[in-house]
Amino acid sequence: MMANLLKKTTGLTGLAVAQNPHHTLGVLYSKILRALQKIPEETTYRKCTEALINERAKVLKENQNVDDIERKIGCGQVEELIIQAENELILARKMITWTPWDPLVQKPPANQWSWPPAKPIN
Amino acid sequence: MSSLLRKLTLLSNSSLRNNYGLVSICSKFMSTEPAKETRPTVRKIDVGAVDQLKDFGRYVAECIPKYVQKVQIAAGNELEILIAPEGVLPVLQFLKDHHNCQFASLVDIAGMDVPSREYRFEIIYNLLSLRYNSRCRVKTYTDELTPIESAYEIFRAADWYEREIWDMYGVFFANHPDLRRILTDYGFQGHPFRKDFPLSGYVEVRYDDEKKRVVVEPLELAQEFRKFDLSAPWEQFPNFRKANPAAEEVEINEKK
Repeated sequence: MMANLLKKTTGLTGLAVAQNPHHTLGVLYSKILRALQKIPEETTYRKCTEALINERAKVLKENQNVDDIERKIGCGQVEELIIQAENELILARKMITWTPWDPLVQKPPANQWSWPPAKPIN
Repeated sequence: MSSLLRKLTLLSNSSLRNNYGLVSICSKFMSTEPAKETRPTVRKIDVGAVDQLKDFGRYVAECIPKYVQKVQIAAGNELEILIAPEGVLPVLQFLKDHHNCQFASLVDIAGMDVPSREYRFEIIYNLLSLRYNSRCRVKTYTDELTPIESAYEIFRAADWYEREIWDMYGVFFANHPDLRRILTDYGFQGHPFRKDFPLSGYVEVRYDDEKKRVVVEPLELAQEFRKFDLSAPWEQFPNFRKANPAAEEVEINEKK
């Protein structure tokens, strides 16, 4: 808690120091995991995200000190971690409606991605 | 799973410090004796970093197989993700918000016109991940009539870029809050970056002394239609006859 009191600023414009980062992060991670439950289990997105969030949640559980959490996760300050988690939560919820793990929706027309382009037919 | 791009960042740092990390990765490319420098002015490509980019491209293709048609490495070390036009929003949102991507900055949206293709316009999104110090490019396609979903809801920066493309190519962006011309003059007709737009334009502007104002008139000596016969009896670039292809495809597992 002391480190939290000593921290005056994040040094990043528009990013305020989080008041209770440990609690906020914990809530966000559990929300993400709950959202991921609705995604089919064998999809890469769910597997990778779950593994990553579980890893971070474990670090969060084992450490109370904010500095330790930041160093062990190694992805920026705790305020940035909160933003990342919020983004992931929004993404996971949108993914459920998009179902992007389905097979390819549309094949590209022939020569669409070829370069140099095919000669025009005269 | 730790982030592929994270590894990439570590890798590029280590290549600066030249410690063991790089040596172990590049050992197969390094012989015991330093190779003789034959082309010192040609840009060297970090093979390890490109491998990481390829892995990342495969990872994206596995996460969103519904939209990713092709992944390729262009210009030696630039990752390109080629997607179906339906997937603009999901792909951009994924690249922006996923923990392992975090491409939070939209650098530019570009357009391209290739009239010989079925979908003649390419829309190209250039993204930057400040977190992992990495870039990638998302490409999709459309024609004159098919609207593309506007990326404004995801990246506010897309506002003017999309207006620019609408102005220059006439690609319509659905759900854009304010789709107007941005670069051309008031009352301008046509889309100047289309390949069939005449080089001289359609109108000419001059000051009329009698009317005491600027008048706009249809062009005299109009160029009818841009169609050039560029074929020549000799070969222009024989040295590049066996040049490498413009982009290197990354194999992705297509989901059935």
